[in-house]
Amino acid sequence: MTGRARARARGRRPGQETAIPSVGAAAVKQTLPSQLPSHQQPQQPYVRPSVSEEPGSCGRQSGPQSVPQGQKGGRPEGLQISSGFQDLSVAEWGGRRRGFHDLGVTTRQAIEHVRESKTHICLPLILGSSGDMIKLTANYFLLTSRPQWALYQYHVGYSPEMEARRLRSALLFRHEEIIGKTHAFDGSILLLPKKLGNKVTEVFTRTRNGDGVKITITLTNELPPTSPTCLQFYNIIFRRLLKMLNLQQIGRNYYNPSDPISIPNHRLMIWPGFTSSILQSEESIMLCVDVSHKVLRSETVLDFMYRLYNQVEEQRFRDACAKELIGLVVLTKYNNRTYRVDDIDWDANPQCTFRKADGSEISYVDYYKKQYNQEITDLNQPVLISQSRRKTGTMMPVSVVLIPELCFLTGLTEKMRNDFNVMKDLAIHTRLPPEQRQREIGRLIGYIQKDDNVQKELRDWGLSFDSNLLSFTGRVVRGEKIFQSGNVFDYNPQFADWSKESRGVPLICAKPLDNWLLIYTRRNYDVANTLLQNLFKVTPSMGIRMNKATMIEVEDRTEAYLRALQRSITPDTNIAVCILSSSRKDKYDAIKKYLCTDCPIPSQCVIARTLSKPQTAVSVAAKIALQMNCKMGGELWSVEIPLKQVMIVGIDCYHDTVSGKRSIAGFVASLNQTMTRWFSRCAVQSRGQELVDGLKVCLQTALRDWFKWNKYLPSRIIVYRDGVGDGQLHTLVNYEVPQFLDCLKSFGKDYNPRLTVIVVKKRVSTRFFAHSGGALKNPPPGTVVDVEVTRPEWYDFFIVSQAVRSGSVSPTHYNVVYDTSKLKPDHLQRLTYKLCHMYYNWSGVIRVPAPCQYAHKLAFLVGQSIHKEPNLLLSDRLYYL
Amino acid sequence: MDENFQEEQFTGIIKFTPPLYKQRYQFIKDLVGKYKPKKVADLGCADGTLLWMLKFCSCIEVLAGLDICASVMKEKMHRLSPLPGDYLQPTERSLTVTLHHGSVAHKDPCMLGFDLVTCIELIEHLEEFELKKFPEVVFGFMAPSIVVISTPNCEFNPLLPGVTLFRHPDHKFEWNRAQFQSWALETARRYDYSVEFTGVGHPPIGMENVGFCTQIGVFVRKYPQTSESAQTEKPTEAVYKTVFKAVYPSLKDEKYLQNAVVSEVIFTAQIIKQSLLDHLMSEHEEYEDDPTERKSKFQPSVSCLSEDLGKLVVEKSMEPFVNGNVAYIPLTTIFYFPKVNRLCGTFEKLCKLIAGKVTLSSDGSAVIFNSEHENEEN
Repeated sequence: MTGRARARARGRRPGQETAIPSVGAAAVKQTLPSQLPSHQQPQQPYVRPSVSEEPGSCGRQSGPQSVPQGQKGGRPEGLQISSGFQDLSVAEWGGRRRGFHDLGVTTRQAIEHVRESKTHICLPLILGSSGDMIKLTANYFLLTSRPQWALYQYHVGYSPEMEARRLRSALLFRHEEIIGKTHAFDGSILLLPKKLGNKVTEVFTRTRNGDGVKITITLTNELPPTSPTCLQFYNIIFRRLLKMLNLQQIGRNYYNPSDPISIPNHRLMIWPGFTSSILQSEESIMLCVDVSHKVLRSETVLDFMYRLYNQVEEQRFRDACAKELIGLVVLTKYNNRTYRVDDIDWDANPQCTFRKADGSEISYVDYYKKQYNQEITDLNQPVLISQSRRKTGTMMPVSVVLIPELCFLTGLTEKMRNDFNVMKDLAIHTRLPPEQRQREIGRLIGYIQKDDNVQKELRDWGLSFDSNLLSFTGRVVRGEKIFQSGNVFDYNPQFADWSKESRGVPLICAKPLDNWLLIYTRRNYDVANTLLQNLFKVTPSMGIRMNKATMIEVEDRTEAYLRALQRSITPDTNIAVCILSSSRKDKYDAIKKYLCTDCPIPSQCVIARTLSKPQTAVSVAAKIALQMNCKMGGELWSVEIPLKQVMIVGIDCYHDTVSGKRSIAGFVASLNQTMTRWFSRCAVQSRGQELVDGLKVCLQTALRDWFKWNKYLPSRIIVYRDGVGDGQLHTLVNYEVPQFLDCLKSFGKDYNPRLTVIVVKKRVSTRFFAHSGGALKNPPPGTVVDVEVTRPEWYDFFIVSQAVRSGSVSPTHYNVVYDTSKLKPDHLQRLTYKLCHMYYNWSGVIRVPAPCQYAHKLAFLVGQSIHKEPNLLLSDRLYYL
Repeated sequence: MDENFQEEQFTGIIKFTPPLYKQRYQFIKDLVGKYKPKKVADLGCADGTLLWMLKFCSCIEVLAGLDICASVMKEKMHRLSPLPGDYLQPTERSLTVTLHHGSVAHKDPCMLGFDLVTCIELIEHLEEFELKKFPEVVFGFMAPSIVVISTPNCEFNPLLPGVTLFRHPDHKFEWNRAQFQSWALETARRYDYSVEFTGVGHPPIGMENVGFCTQIGVFVRKYPQTSESAQTEKPTEAVYKTVFKAVYPSLKDEKYLQNAVVSEVIFTAQIIKQSLLDHLMSEHEEYEDDPTERKSKFQPSVSCLSEDLGKLVVEKSMEPFVNGNVAYIPLTTIFYFPKVNRLCGTFEKLCKLIAGKVTLSSDGSAVIFNSEHENEEN
């Protein structure tokens, strides 16, 4: 394997980087602030969000909730009781995580042909076309609530007005004889499981100062169990339960600290735990539970810095710290908070002072001593800076200062992720095969059923869970036939891999290696020669014509490589191959940057060690030959694509956490009918600019290129959009999709292609298990689920496309947010699955459609190494593979 | 302490900075800092804020809270649970935090043996019959070395805006200084305690005659610690209900100690091994500024270190050495690393704790690493 991302993808299939769920960075991403959660009428997919979105603001509104323009209609002003989706967010309880499940984004109603049914109607007699049925179990539990279960939402007003939430609560709770013992109150909104006698209840009470206060409790909503507020509320209740079970909350999930798994070799500690969410699924409300593992480190950030200091040279120490630490999540010793490290302030130290809320100045040392009895011993350590993600009223992000000595590291550093041994040791504990995973999930339900307090709380709210996992029937679509210049072959569906079958078969389109460079250092002379010999061995059967490379020996310095490239590249050069003696990133970055921007030719970097093992040298050379061929514009294999005149687009984002915090979107669009050639471009987001502006430009150029290739414009465009964060669905639906439509309009009035936009999500906690001979197994590749666990307001489905060697396979979620294609769900699902076969860096089925993975690779290369837009001369080749 | 008290010019509105309740808690914290009690109980602990502050005091090993209202205790009780950090680096001290639901008018043996009992703004909430029983329960039955009682000083009330009768509707009474002091002196006399009076919340300049806003009595037991046997003579049944209990991880618990030792031993051994290998390498090769390279190169250099050289070192048995693919790090060397030493105390304890948890050489004298799989790559 070669290339920068090699280490990340090592031994794993592309698109599977997050095989270990919820460790470190994964957890961070999930706690990113949700943008603009929306609460809309299902009939109106594109209306503005209904309530003001300032966190906490809706809790403070004194009147009835504002309703979206469109639905306010003829309702009289003043108090009204409504039942339905006109909801407000439970801001204070849900906190910053509201919107996490993209509640309230309803898209299916707008898509005409799936309004009635989005399921592929599968008649068992018509075999073959629809795929085989398979009995599946999902990690979902049915929520059974009492009939007519509703939640009553009250607005609580105080006269005179009371500001302090605590006081408001204290005053209200004195009247438990009226409101009952079971309640939830955020200072303004009161939720009760029972209805009060009157629509408006007034009670009088006295403050501690003896002032009389009138509390007015007004019924504003009767929430059906399916309303977004209700769902948010179920989730809050459930979090309470987990707390009652003595599970520790870290980030968004709950972990059991009493039985940690310790991996002393790497100073790692794994806490087993659960991630849970209660969601509206197709027919009922479900609890989705998955096993989560929190990787914690039994060393502080300061310990880590000391250790690093001993490992690197003095002048590189600060950079090394920044590289290793920025972006990591730390856990403070003195409270249960997690923070993401955004910066390290080397000019500050614990003796610096800050201003407390009351205005007094205090040093960090004194503060932590006084407040938490925490001694800071190293007074010269730098401090960590974390930008608070809670937006304050002024929208000015507040930064939090943290002391390294008082922070534990969590998750894995990039270096550890790249360390094969660390990942192997972790995988033993975190990759649970289906049987074991199901057992662990069942344990949580067991805990809930055994704990009396938890049972009581559930009873008070009238909630209960089914104790069995949800079972239903899914479908397995046929494996594809792989076409490779006149040869057709099947692959073993169990492994979803055809590396054996395709060996020795000529490629669809082989690019010759007439004129190419091989650059190496003196020490790697032998390695370079062996590579050359092996390439001569493997290329003929692929159909690649090859001349001997121009061999260039250089000193092991970045400048030497660059100088050699500058001198030797001619307009006829096909590709430059560089053998690097180490995985040092700077050399790689410099070479890639030069060959992607200043001097645009395909390039291939290989680390000498990869080539040095005699037993694997030939197969490595074969892989490199394929990769080089793709980079030069060659084509490897194809599958049958029945749709004509369709352009497939894949988009993925890379978020640069270290320098400049820029986002980069990779954009890849098919150029031909067989989906073997791709147009690739990326959008580098500059400060204050929306990513979508760049995407528009990409789409425009892609369509122009398509026209150049095909002499007509595509009649259908299908966009696979990856890299959409939790809670960002609303933005995508309301801003990005209209921008795409806008862009298409610019091609003239007569051009009306059908557009489909599908949001691709790899990071889901849904798992499927297949029943096989009394045991639970991973479902086979090609398993499609569009029933039971999908969401009624969406046109969505799950596909398990890849096979895994260990652990439980993770399905990919596809949410069709916009679709004028009128394609049958079955056809769209099968097209999606076909596209998972088309990623040329892996001769097997991957987890996402190939264009998404290409877009990911491109964005990753640009974000990690090049930092600016690559030269467009390369855009018709997969130069970034 | 006075710097904490910063009143504004008396404008008719009294505002305490920091707020008065914080000043009361700080008073207790200072007292704990001074007397270093091991077992502290807070009667009328409400939402447990004081207990939460006290859990950071490293002298305290037992914390208990008592309140008549279970729901107010439950509200925030989880902040009294151990933090992830407490599990990650267990400390030497043990700590148990318990919340009980019950009345200060009832005796329960779980309240015996405390060093400090605090009753912050408690007594004014007691009904007359409860107040009557209160001294016998606290001073007679619990009989801790120190009791702190705070209560409003009603002489201050005219300075508080809007206070007509009492500061809080639930208050059954509010005493002036003379009333509180006479009650306190009488109680102290009867149960053989000494008492000193102080307070928090200074009156504004010119109004000093009204005294502190909150008056505090600190009672110190005059007779020595009641022996265990004396306590068991007080036969009472448990009447309180335990609402919450958290046992903090501590190195006193074998399980946590073992984890800590094993992890420290392996980590230390790895550091020694790495420096050993680096050392070997620098002898055999010129310095390369590349960690991955170092690794890939170390294989041949280690094999250069032939068997007999290895044997030479093994005889010394105190030095770590590499033999073929196996690195030997003697336990004695590891034992002298300060952190390991501090955790185990004795070499025997070290051996006992790591038995079966760390891969040792056949004679059990050294930690061994097989460096072969280290270099394994896919």
